[in-house]
Amino acid sequence: MNPSSSDSKNALLAVLVSLLIPGAGQFYLGKRERGGVIFGTLVVLAFLIQWALATYKIGLTTFEQLSTSWLWGVWMLFWGWNVLDAYRLSRQQFPLTWLGVLLSAVIIYFIGWQVTDINLSRLVTRFNDAQTVFRALLQPDLFEQDALTGEWRPSENFGTIIGKIADQPAPSWMVNLGLVTKDTRIPTPILGKLAETIAIGLMATLFSTLFAVPLSFLAARNIMARLPGGVIIYYVMRTILNVVRSIDTIIWGVIVVVWVGLGSFAGVLALTIHSVAALGKLYSEEIEHIDPGPIEAITATGANLLQVIRYAVIPQIVPPFLAYTLLRWDINMRMATVVGFVAGGGIGFFVLETIRKGGYEQYAAALWAVAVVIIVVDYLSARWRERILVGETKVTTGPPQPFYRSPRSLVYALLVVALFVSSWHLAQIDFGKMLEPAPTFWRLVGDFITIDLNPDVLEVVFRQMITTVFQALLATTLGGLVAVPFSFLAARNLMGGNPLSLAIYYVMRGMLNVLRSIEALLYVAIFVFWVGIGPFAGMLALAITTFALIGKLFSEAIENIDPGPVEAIAATGANRLQQIVYAILPQIIPPFISYLIYQWDINVRISTIVGFAGGGGIGLLLNTYFGKLQYHKAGTVVAVIVLVVTLMDFASAKIRERLV
Amino acid sequence: MLKVENLTKVYPNGTVALRDVSFEVADGEFLAVIGLSGSGKSTLLRCINRLIEPTAGRIIWNDIELTALSQAEMRKVRRQMGMVFQQFNLVKRSSVLTNVLSGRLGYVPAYHSLFNYFSPADYERAFKNLERLGLREKAYVRADSLSGGQQQRVGIARALMQEPKLILADEPVASLDPVLSHSILKYLEQMNKEDKITVLCSLHFLDLVHRYATRAIGLKDGRLVFQGLPHEIDDVQFKTIFGQDAERVTIL
Repeated sequence: MNPSSSDSKNALLAVLVSLLIPGAGQFYLGKRERGGVIFGTLVVLAFLIQWALATYKIGLTTFEQLSTSWLWGVWMLFWGWNVLDAYRLSRQQFPLTWLGVLLSAVIIYFIGWQVTDINLSRLVTRFNDAQTVFRALLQPDLFEQDALTGEWRPSENFGTIIGKIADQPAPSWMVNLGLVTKDTRIPTPILGKLAETIAIGLMATLFSTLFAVPLSFLAARNIMARLPGGVIIYYVMRTILNVVRSIDTIIWGVIVVVWVGLGSFAGVLALTIHSVAALGKLYSEEIEHIDPGPIEAITATGANLLQVIRYAVIPQIVPPFLAYTLLRWDINMRMATVVGFVAGGGIGFFVLETIRKGGYEQYAAALWAVAVVIIVVDYLSARWRERILVGETKVTTGPPQPFYRSPRSLVYALLVVALFVSSWHLAQIDFGKMLEPAPTFWRLVGDFITIDLNPDVLEVVFRQMITTVFQALLATTLGGLVAVPFSFLAARNLMGGNPLSLAIYYVMRGMLNVLRSIEALLYVAIFVFWVGIGPFAGMLALAITTFALIGKLFSEAIENIDPGPVEAIAATGANRLQQIVYAILPQIIPPFISYLIYQWDINVRISTIVGFAGGGGIGLLLNTYFGKLQYHKAGTVVAVIVLVVTLMDFASAKIRERLV
Repeated sequence: MLKVENLTKVYPNGTVALRDVSFEVADGEFLAVIGLSGSGKSTLLRCINRLIEPTAGRIIWNDIELTALSQAEMRKVRRQMGMVFQQFNLVKRSSVLTNVLSGRLGYVPAYHSLFNYFSPADYERAFKNLERLGLREKAYVRADSLSGGQQQRVGIARALMQEPKLILADEPVASLDPVLSHSILKYLEQMNKEDKITVLCSLHFLDLVHRYATRAIGLKDGRLVFQGLPHEIDDVQFKTIFGQDAERVTIL
């Protein structure tokens, strides 16, 4: 376009307007969203700079007699960039978005660095102390050598975690049958904490599936719209599910403990409550996405609503429902390994006690045991989900045999029943306990509903919440950045070339899987030992899990790229690096950014609870309030968490939508 | 006898799908509904069995005013109206047999359906209908593993299970090739002539209308612009119904 006089008028006007009100010039030029984002960013940054200065004295500089934050200077640079941006836009020139992002990043990361108390020197000075923990990790206490005979046998710790065979009084049924006399002791297998953990995960998945299925219908818009008054029920159900979901399992654990007391059952309850909400949401979204064609057809035969659901809705949703249940099983198993931290029971509780006693070898043994179980569960869950969703093509000429006719199905059925019964017993399910809550429980409920809105309390809570969000941000950045190079090494299509790189691929994949199988809360203890209690330890623990998760997601994104452009670039004679830069990178940048935002969302949730293990942030505040029975304030904390997590969910979904 | 009087349908977003449409269908007729996409054919068919609620107008069938019935009463009437769809609308993961049996749901009490119970008479009827449409060996196969033509035949078998007096066919052959189209329409013709079922069928191609329909109505922009015998659609009528830019296309 040739610049004309009207163009230069446009430019001048845009520049002036953006100078007065940042973002207004962009708004005027038609880029409304850009203008809005710029304005919003400046407001948020201003608030952050002032808050950081007032609360933590971040960026404090004295200039003659005026003391202020040097970050205001960067902020004004951003304002200036916005004017430049308006000018360039009016001239149809290439926008320098990266510069604006860089300027705001400087402010955000500088503040974040200070708020999360990052102290690199501590990493170095306490490294020697940390080495004891690392050495323990490589020498888990599972087997010991008999002092006299030199034989290897499972240690006491092995017995606690995995199980042992000990002489116990014979069970009553054997005595009644006359097989043994009353006082004989027979070797009985006693299952350890790991089995308890598995039982907790299984029971929670079972219960949550049972409850989530009917609730999901109430939260499905297309079904509810057909009933009188249904739309209101839909909105109420959706809101309840969202609120319950945004409260992490660990926080539910602290609440449930007041209800039914410490123990495995509390863990099962807490997990179930959170899972019902998560599954309910996933299930209801599946229901809303079904093909309306069969519904129309079945309705046209004169069937009523129940028959329509039975014949047109249910057959469509059973496969994805099963897949989601399997996914939830995976997640529940992981959470079961840590819920004991606050609720008692399982390996989470065991870990808490060993840390207190400083037994890092036992702790390491627990971590390795957890890693093995989770890796197996991961694999099974993924395999079965694939089988369900891809489906099997069987050639059937006769009616399907009911399951009680096939011997193999009968064996499976018996195994399932045995598993169910033993898990019920191990997880100490006792519904009676739900009917006799501790006296403080009703006080808790009442205090939670009438939260404490005292400005002092709010100030403390907001301060910790901002710290927590920054923890999540920094952990995501750190973990994500380090994951990028490693993800290339864990991508099959890049590393399959020769035996050496293939070996590296397997090692990388293995490392990522092992690191991923351990929940952040379990890493916090290690970092607390290294850098001390506080948000820094929590941030580092989160960074490790982020690294492992993002590494896997990124490597899968790389494996899913279109090989066409790579082939084309290779055909021009480019080497591997050039292929990566010109053919691979442009394909993977959108999914990479999308995964990073998704991970930040998850990290905000997790960082709300790392405080329970000494990782600072709002979790620590919540732990303190619960410990002092100050339920009013605890209610405020939970309300703020729900608010922030919901906002983050919404924002991250919107941003990712725009990217893809 | 089906009487449609002043039928109007305005969608919530303002689209006027049907404007004051009136016509009559005698029992035993094979009525073709023709018109461009978006002329209101699907809406018209769905208003007759009230899958879509008309905004104004009346529909009277065998002296019952359908538009005045409650939802429960309408369900009973729907049992007598079979419907065949362009996209077949089968439950993909269920077997062919289950899909066909589900045509009987209007006659089956609700609690039977919870346990997937159908009477032996229903099963017999289902196998008979599958036999009639040449799909007996596919009874236990998953519906989505069938070809398009086979799936549409399952749809017709499902409609037949209702022992309907009227069949509404919404572009039943639009997704099929020319040879299959004839084969499907021959089944509908058989049901029209042998079982004395009235058929209302929306079609795109005039050749099919000429070959199978006993009467035709034409819709344009929601209005009835033609009512008469298929051979009365000359070139002038053709352009009235389909617009000035239309050209005749022959299929086999």
